[in-house]
Amino acid sequence: MAGEAHCLSYTGCNFLRQRLVLATLSGRPLKIRKIRAKEEDPGLRDFEASFIRLIDKVTNGSRIEINQTGTTLYYQPGLLYGGSLEHDCSPSRGIGYYLESLLCLAPFMKHPLKIVLRGVTNDQVDPSVDVLKATALPLLKKFGIDGESLEIKINRRGMPPKGGGEILFTCPVRKVLQPVQFTDPGKIKRIRGTAYSVRVSPQMANRMVESARGILNKFLPDIYIYTDHMKGVSSGKSPGFGMCLTAETINGTILSAELASNPQGQGAAVLPEELGQNCAKLLLEEIYRGGCVDSTNQSLALLLMTLGQRDVSKVLLGPLSPYTIEFLRHLRSFFQIMFKIETKTAEEEHTGGEKVLMTCVGIGFCNLSKTIR
Amino acid sequence: MEEKEKKKHRAKQSGPKAEKKRKRYLNDLGIGEEENARKRNPKAFTVQSAVRMARTFHRTQDLKTKKHHIPVVDRTPLEPPPVVVVVVGPPKVGKSTVIKCLIKNFTRQKLVEIRGPVTIVSGKKRRLTIIECGCDINTMIDLAKVADLVLMLIDASFGFEMETFEFLNICQVHGFPKIMGVLTHLDTFKNNKQLKKTKKKLKHRFWTEVYPGAKLFYLSGMVHGEYQKQEIHNLGRFISVMKFRPLTWQTSHPYILADRMEELTNPEDVRINPKCDRKISLYGYLRGAHLKNKSQIHMPGVGDFTVSDVSFLPDPCALPEQQKKRSLNEKEKLVYAPLSGVGGIVYDKDAVYIDLGGSHAHEKEEEEVRPNHELVQSLISTHSAIDVKMASSKVSLFVDSTPLGSEDVGQEFVMPKEERQVDLKTGRVRRKAVFEDDEKENDDVASDEEDDQEEGDEEEAVSEDGSDGDDENDAEEESERVLLQEGMAVRRAKRLKTEMAQEEAVNELPAFADSDDDLEMSSQEEEETAPEDSEMEEDEEEEEEEGDIQRTCEDESSGSESEVANKRADSKQYDMDSECTEMKSQISEHSPKRKAVLTTDSGNCTAEEASESEDENSSLEDGDDEGGSHEELEAEESNRNGFQHSQAKKANSVGQTKVKTVDTEDDDVENLLREEEEYEEKIDLSADTAGALKWKEDLTQKAAEAFLRQQRSTPNLRKLVYGTAVEDEDHESEDADDELGGLFRVSRPDKASKQKANALDCSKFLVEKLQDWDLEEVMSSIRDCFVTGKWEDDKDAAKLLEEDEELYGDFEDLETGVVHKGKAAAGGEQSGSEEEEDEDEKMSKPEPEEEEKKKERMDKKRKLKEMFDAEYDEGDATYFDDLKEEMHKQAQLNRAEFEDQDDETRVQYEGFRPGMYVRIEIENVPCEFVLNFDPHYPIILGGLGNSEGNVGYVQLRLKKHRWYKKILKTRDPLILSLGWRRFQTIPMFYMEDHNGRHRLLKYTPQHMHCGAAFWGPITPQGTGFLAVQSVSGTTPDFRIAATGVVLDLDKSITIVKKLKLTGFPFKIFKNTCFIKGMFNSQLEVAKFEGAAIRSVSGIRGQIKKALRAPVGAFRATFEDKLLMSDIVFVRTWYPVSIPMFYNPVTSLLKPAGEKDSWSGMKTTGQLRYERGIKLKQNKDSLYKPIVREKRHFNKLHIPKALQKALPFKNKPKNLEKKGKTPKDQWRPAVIREPHEKKISALLSALSTVNNYKIKKAKAKHREQLKEYLKVKQKEEEQKFKRQKEAKKKVYRILGQREKKRQKSSLKGSSKGGKST
Repeated sequence: MAGEAHCLSYTGCNFLRQRLVLATLSGRPLKIRKIRAKEEDPGLRDFEASFIRLIDKVTNGSRIEINQTGTTLYYQPGLLYGGSLEHDCSPSRGIGYYLESLLCLAPFMKHPLKIVLRGVTNDQVDPSVDVLKATALPLLKKFGIDGESLEIKINRRGMPPKGGGEILFTCPVRKVLQPVQFTDPGKIKRIRGTAYSVRVSPQMANRMVESARGILNKFLPDIYIYTDHMKGVSSGKSPGFGMCLTAETINGTILSAELASNPQGQGAAVLPEELGQNCAKLLLEEIYRGGCVDSTNQSLALLLMTLGQRDVSKVLLGPLSPYTIEFLRHLRSFFQIMFKIETKTAEEEHTGGEKVLMTCVGIGFCNLSKTIR
Repeated sequence: MEEKEKKKHRAKQSGPKAEKKRKRYLNDLGIGEEENARKRNPKAFTVQSAVRMARTFHRTQDLKTKKHHIPVVDRTPLEPPPVVVVVVGPPKVGKSTVIKCLIKNFTRQKLVEIRGPVTIVSGKKRRLTIIECGCDINTMIDLAKVADLVLMLIDASFGFEMETFEFLNICQVHGFPKIMGVLTHLDTFKNNKQLKKTKKKLKHRFWTEVYPGAKLFYLSGMVHGEYQKQEIHNLGRFISVMKFRPLTWQTSHPYILADRMEELTNPEDVRINPKCDRKISLYGYLRGAHLKNKSQIHMPGVGDFTVSDVSFLPDPCALPEQQKKRSLNEKEKLVYAPLSGVGGIVYDKDAVYIDLGGSHAHEKEEEEVRPNHELVQSLISTHSAIDVKMASSKVSLFVDSTPLGSEDVGQEFVMPKEERQVDLKTGRVRRKAVFEDDEKENDDVASDEEDDQEEGDEEEAVSEDGSDGDDENDAEEESERVLLQEGMAVRRAKRLKTEMAQEEAVNELPAFADSDDDLEMSSQEEEETAPEDSEMEEDEEEEEEEGDIQRTCEDESSGSESEVANKRADSKQYDMDSECTEMKSQISEHSPKRKAVLTTDSGNCTAEEASESEDENSSLEDGDDEGGSHEELEAEESNRNGFQHSQAKKANSVGQTKVKTVDTEDDDVENLLREEEEYEEKIDLSADTAGALKWKEDLTQKAAEAFLRQQRSTPNLRKLVYGTAVEDEDHESEDADDELGGLFRVSRPDKASKQKANALDCSKFLVEKLQDWDLEEVMSSIRDCFVTGKWEDDKDAAKLLEEDEELYGDFEDLETGVVHKGKAAAGGEQSGSEEEEDEDEKMSKPEPEEEEKKKERMDKKRKLKEMFDAEYDEGDATYFDDLKEEMHKQAQLNRAEFEDQDDETRVQYEGFRPGMYVRIEIENVPCEFVLNFDPHYPIILGGLGNSEGNVGYVQLRLKKHRWYKKILKTRDPLILSLGWRRFQTIPMFYMEDHNGRHRLLKYTPQHMHCGAAFWGPITPQGTGFLAVQSVSGTTPDFRIAATGVVLDLDKSITIVKKLKLTGFPFKIFKNTCFIKGMFNSQLEVAKFEGAAIRSVSGIRGQIKKALRAPVGAFRATFEDKLLMSDIVFVRTWYPVSIPMFYNPVTSLLKPAGEKDSWSGMKTTGQLRYERGIKLKQNKDSLYKPIVREKRHFNKLHIPKALQKALPFKNKPKNLEKKGKTPKDQWRPAVIREPHEKKISALLSALSTVNNYKIKKAKAKHREQLKEYLKVKQKEEEQKFKRQKEAKKKVYRILGQREKKRQKSSLKGSSKGGKST
């Protein structure tokens, strides 16, 4: 058909996930060249290969061609299929790396997605499963993707470098999404969080909680941080600990921050007190940035706005992250959509930094995979 | 006598008058009507059955909800596109006459020949696009998809024809537009009664097809070849007030009914290869949904294309401006039909005629055409080498991409292109020239910049020349002005260099580097305050150069410039001044805030650095900021001037180069500037993602960068993300050549780009540097983000509570009986807001106090009313109402969001909205489309949604049309009309079994739905389709073969057909046997282990295990013993593959006159028929005469013992035949004597005589009886007659008596009635 002119072409492996996800949703073929072409170890890494495999699993009829050195990737998307699946993620990246993309794709499957992902649940690079569970799911709900089956369950925790964690992600299917007007974040009413520890002393978690509370109590009394110490099979293969904090506002906005200990055998040992303090500070930093959507989930929110019906959607964000900026550009090239970007300076003084109001008209996306009876 | 003549008054006994009287009379009495009875005796009318009541209630509710439609968001634009009116009907029914009459009715113009769509203004708020639809089924299908209103013409003298029904069916499938019937040829009826009858008959048939009560018009006769004026007028009125229901497909897809086509192919290409693919532009109103640039479209009859460019044009057939008068005046009654030669261009087979004396629309049109013309012209005129051509083509692309409609653009076209491009670059070069010497020392400078510089030098030289002779004429003014600028800039740059030592210059330089900044502004303003020759600024279009110019003005006060200066410049300058003041105020606002941020910002620079270069920083950053904002402002300004994109681009490019030059200048700010440079890159679509590894390397640098970003994000965020609009377009256009894609196509060191391209892919937004959250100020910066912080006034609980207290202070505790008294209003004020009170008192004026109280009272009242409303209005709001309200709100928001923006920007956000008149460029169109262009056939551009351009397997629910004569066969090609497309494909029919298996069917079932699957374009589920077997020629039969709906889309599909494998037992044990001949190998058997098998006689079994001996044999067990003669089989399902055949119907590519003769793949049946090939039949499937052998059954044998035991009744009674009687028992024969013989003979004779006699007597007796009966009957009749007579008499008497009695009784009663 319209064929090759239709195909998009990029270089470099950065933003691979964005590109593959958007290509799948828009149905446009994609070519990525020069993936680490000049490096000593050229081509796709194992975690990228694993991601491509995952994409292949959730779709039907995708064509993926990779050249011998792995420096060129051609992807012709099929239709999103879903169903009950299992996937072993590469331990070099967290499960969050995979889950983030699945969150974008899951509502548009043919059959509701029910997938077991195995790998590293919490690490220092990617948003952890805990954070995504706390922030991304409420965000999906705002777009009309809700129901009992929308769930992320952490069966086992796995820390880097060996992993061994396992989660279950289920998501219902929707035909169309609702437009959102999400411009007032509201005030933070409570702070919740999880301090987890595996294969270390259970006391670690308590120490983290203490120190984090010390900082956060200056702002708000309603703080509760759960301690989650996993034992035995559910504790994965490597020791580690960490913490993630979420601040919830009266309007249902959830902001989050997280920190994890250094992986075993890499870097110096981290004191749990220090980690707790730093994590609390990160949360304050995130609150300073503000907005109605967490900085990690900015791109998800923008994507769901884009894929809405032909109505105006608005969302107030904190400063755009580089990932989001690139995502906006990708959105334009894949969907020909541009956001109206307005900077909002808060009238009052003590409400953090500048915000960005993003407005767009949805493209009228409808789930082509879903069967009608 | 006269007295006698007078007639006595008689009260009316019957009729309406009497009835009324009686009623009144009864009412007076208080008895009578049922209603009154209901009132009088309500108990008698209460519920008699609760069940029945419930049922009636349910029923009414059902009926109510049935009326609801699911509410949808109203997305119709404020100025809707013209309504598409399709005039359909069989040939010679009067379609074109109706169109002509309608056009004449609305516009008072008479069109001679109508080709293609005609757009007219029909009223203050409505336009119509009228198009005729021929009888070609392709046209009918295409137009049914875009029609808003269908005028269905029916020849009343003939009745309905197949075309009418076909069109109705097409409409039903593709969403049902409004349909209005028009009966013509009514004057052929001579007999009035016949006419009436026909009308009624046709009307009712029409109603059954459309809906009962559908409007049917009658056009009774022709006057001078036209329909009667009044009738047409009425028809027009109906059309222009008609309301339309939104159709799903149409509202969810953009589409254009093109009313103009132009070819843009390079003539040279055509000359070289006449069959080369063409580039065309199509014009038309956009309808349906928003259209995005570069999106995919489908042209029914041609194929799929990607839009290479869209631009909107001024409306050629615009609605009148807002006016309050009742009707349109003659000038506003526009008509636009370029294909017919009205308001545009006439198309002939090999030429295009431009109608010079055209209507008003034509003048505008010309302007639109010119740029394209220019483009083509430029392409033709270049007789030079390829690289030059390339350069020029780039320029022309740019020209093309600039929006049309502004006169300035047109003027710019007059300039030679080369020069223009250079001009663009010189914007940079001029800046370069400042640091010419320095740069030579520097190695950093990119080679291309040097090139530019050289060019700039040349320019300089040229400009000198230009300035000499710039008073030549006015026509050259423009170009010269530009040149002048170059010259001035260079001079100024040189001068600047000398000033470097000065303090001001230090401040200025970086600022200058980044375009017009505040400092420059301020200095400039100072200058402006001085009574200098500021009116000399004629170059305000390029505002960034303002400062330069001003100074140069001082230097060279040559008269030439003052000549050039004009009024416009003055006014511009005025604008500028105001802007400058704005700037100033902004700066003042900004700087303190910025400082505050400095302390709190997460990504700011280190303390030392900050202290080191605080001054520079502040000035610089402010400068940058302002530069940015100024650029935006400038963009706005330029918009006003019509210089839009080109300007912005210039500004940008200037900015870039400047920055680069700066870092050679100042060592102090070098570091920062490098950041800035990087930042500039960002602006240019760079993808700096702050990879984790990178930021670890040099934190301070990063911090500074982040700081910068934070600072500059404010005005430039959009640019940061998307780049400027012009750059955009440029990149898009270059995308095609450059494989890198728009995002990374930036001129910057390769290393950086590579690093970025292969950086870590992480969505986390890392915090570069934590702020010190132990500090009080830092903490206070987010204090109000928490519920513990300060709230807004309208949400502050304390305040709200206070207000409530005033309102609802008093309440009584019902349990304890204690009455709580709220504070009195005055008291409340005393305690709650004493300060206010004090203030009030200070004012000490009774009047305001009064007013305040009044206000309070009003407030209180209002609140109470709200409460009341909330309580009582809520009850009515149903779920449906809520939903509707929500949709309404959304629609409001959709309208309001982009309302205040100009179309240029709006188009970028929303896409082109329906109602716009757009021009669409399409490349790679087959040459046949242009060569065989026929305006009679509609050209439709249908927008495709996401992934609707892809192909895959589509599953349908399909039903053969009940009027189609044949049944459809699996694997026969079929032409489907689905979505926008018409295409030929090979469907496979199937039935879904109860277990979800798709079982292949050979033929479609007769009166049932079945499934169908084919390989073809992905189309959203729920889309209707129709199928025809051929689109060519005409048949008397109904052409639509099947209709249905899309159910599912997938990239794979399994349809199976049944396959029975048979085998034969070769060894039988008890229930086990060995079976051979079913499989060919052990492996195959292994695959089927455990499968259920069955013998023909019905014995069930299971495959157990393969045997070694004969290959493919296996052991199986059965529920009973098998016979050697049994045949065993296993039932399996074999997947069939669906042929990947998808062939779009390219009917528009056919030569004119043959467009309805497209034929694609033929069925095997057709081929066999054409070539006379007989089907070779399987011998076994032939019918042979059945020979049935006579069956022979053995005798039933009952054993003797059983026989004995049987009761006698059931015993076989096989009486044996008597044997021959023995001789002794034989009876002897009797032999008579002669005498005896005689006696017997006599006796017999006598008896014969006697018999005869008796017979005779009997006959006689019968005769007599007959006679007698006759007589008797006669008598009887007479008797009956007499009796009847008598009865009659009696009855008459009786009747009279009865009547009398009745009369008397009536009289009596009436008397009685009166007496009471």
